[in-house]
Amino acid sequence: MSNKGIRNLFIFGSIFFFVIFIGLTIDTMKKVDKRAPKITEEVDAGKKLWHKYDCIGCHTILGNGSYYAPDLTKITVNKPEGYLEKFLVNPRKVKPNAAMPVLGITPEEAKKIVAFLDWVSKVDTNGWPPKPVLARYRVPQIPGATVYEKYNCKACHMINGVGGTSGPDLTHVGSRKPDPEWHKKHIRDPQSVVSDSAMPPFPQISDEELNQLVDYLITLK
Amino acid sequence: MRYESQKIAQNFYTFAVLLFLVQVLVGIIAALQFIWPDFFPLKFNIIRDLHINALVVWLLMGLMGATYYVVPEESQSELWSIPLAKFQFWATVVAVTAVVLGYIWMGFDPQANKFIAGTLLLNEGREYIEAPRWADWLIALSVILFLLNNFMTMYKSKRWTGIQGTLLGGLTFLALMYLPGMFYSKSMVKDQYWWWWVIHLWVEGAWEVIAGALLAFMLMKVTNVERHVVERWMYIEVALVLFTGILGTGHHYYWIGTPRYWLWVGGIFSALEPIPLLVMVWDAFRTTRTHRVVSNRLGLFYATSHAIFNFVGAGLWGVIHTLPQVNKWTHGTQITTAHGHLAFYGAYVLLVMSMIYITLPLIRGAENFNTSRGYRSFWWMTISMIFIVLTLTGAGMVQTYMERLVGLDYVTVKANYNLWFWIFRAIFGLGFLYGVTLFVIDFFKLGREPVEAVATEPSETTV
Repeated sequence: MSNKGIRNLFIFGSIFFFVIFIGLTIDTMKKVDKRAPKITEEVDAGKKLWHKYDCIGCHTILGNGSYYAPDLTKITVNKPEGYLEKFLVNPRKVKPNAAMPVLGITPEEAKKIVAFLDWVSKVDTNGWPPKPVLARYRVPQIPGATVYEKYNCKACHMINGVGGTSGPDLTHVGSRKPDPEWHKKHIRDPQSVVSDSAMPPFPQISDEELNQLVDYLITLK
Repeated sequence: MRYESQKIAQNFYTFAVLLFLVQVLVGIIAALQFIWPDFFPLKFNIIRDLHINALVVWLLMGLMGATYYVVPEESQSELWSIPLAKFQFWATVVAVTAVVLGYIWMGFDPQANKFIAGTLLLNEGREYIEAPRWADWLIALSVILFLLNNFMTMYKSKRWTGIQGTLLGGLTFLALMYLPGMFYSKSMVKDQYWWWWVIHLWVEGAWEVIAGALLAFMLMKVTNVERHVVERWMYIEVALVLFTGILGTGHHYYWIGTPRYWLWVGGIFSALEPIPLLVMVWDAFRTTRTHRVVSNRLGLFYATSHAIFNFVGAGLWGVIHTLPQVNKWTHGTQITTAHGHLAFYGAYVLLVMSMIYITLPLIRGAENFNTSRGYRSFWWMTISMIFIVLTLTGAGMVQTYMERLVGLDYVTVKANYNLWFWIFRAIFGLGFLYGVTLFVIDFFKLGREPVEAVATEPSETTV
């Protein structure tokens, strides 16, 4: 083939593939809105704030971004209600060793950002992020540990290296706080014992479950 | 150098080289912030914005400078308008400086990034294209003036060579693909969809086409290979780049809320993306082997290294995690960071550096120059970069296993299990900084040192 022939192959071949790409793009644009909830004004306002504070400069979302701070695609699913609003306003007040700085986000702005993140968490992402396949660590066969699992305490707390880092590590909580009554009050209404706690109250937990959970916690020494 | 207007390339190179140094300096700060988040008054997001924006801008400046050298030579005429080229240069410098100052301002006062007339004043908060909308328009204007100047030069001379045609085509594609990043989408899914048009079709489309054209020019410039041979291979390379790369964009559409068919489209086409890069390596080696008359050994050394590391960084390090079955687990981890570093280094940093080492001696009228610093700089940078990439790959593998497979917390993995990777990465970063410093010194001294200081090339018998 002559150089001119190869050149023409290059030009028209590229146009051919680009036309296919545009076709797929049109199809995709028609479908994406159906794969996600409706975008409310609050969600849009939250997205604008997401850009304003350059959140992607540290975080990833839908897996794209800066890889310096946690991915936020499913953050509203993984954290209890109310926690993120407090965290965004003043991260280190909620979590003393947080790397995130105070950006001047107001409580109203925080609500909008959380609404946006909640929208993202409901996008159909073809199953990403995948559920961990090896997360079959042994849950101790005691009732309190089951309650701990049931209320997903590990989303924020860690025991023996497993769990989140948003709340205090509970590996030795029994040594730090041996009083069961303190724990009971704290779980029912955290702010009644720790005034600026970001932990949500758990009024839905039954008395029996609460006793089992506290019995378990105070054994963690 | 045969044309006075080719000197304008030097302005662009100088700005590019200085921004390269800035990029690596802030890169070291960012690396240290992985270990101590409060290490520097400016937080990580601003430092990273500077790191990646400096990268994009300095590579663009380098490519523009290279184009201003190539086009007069290929057209066999002076540039259409030297004052326009100078204006375009200084306007770009002013715009870029304003954007950088804006980022720093925002770093000290996040509230300063206000919405004005619906767009953000200082930072758009979209990765790589953080520059605010007013700057987008200035950048677009600069690129249009640049394209116009080069197009008119070719048009007036009526000499349409394959190399400059492909170069102009690549640059026009680059300019057009900036546009999908210039509007707001309410949906984050659509936002990321169009954002990838810019990012992917730049680095795995337009820029690779430009790289193909410049590689052809360089091989012809430093060896006595015939034009029709390099142009033939160039066409094959850039054709394969776009045939695989355009639909290869699909590998970014697996998990962002787009339909499932992208898993097939992206998986198949992006798996083929390394092929043109391998052809480029073969092209460089074949030309080097069969054409023994080499006028600039250091230049050829860099050009060949560019071809190799383009293949390794963009090709191999990309293909390892491009299939959806793998990417499901590695997406959003440090594996991507590792790929990004080696790909940009191999594909574009070495490309611009090789263009500088091939054209700068000619611009300065120094047929012989001290090449020892150039080689030392290469080895410091390349070995350091390889280790940076290995530490990041290690960190990514640990992260994929611990976070994605075992289900441990992101922060735990980053702070505990990956700490040593961050420490080593920072140390190798210093090695890279040393290599860049050597290069910057070399850039300013090349051809300006007394002839006595010029080291001799290794003699033919030892090669």
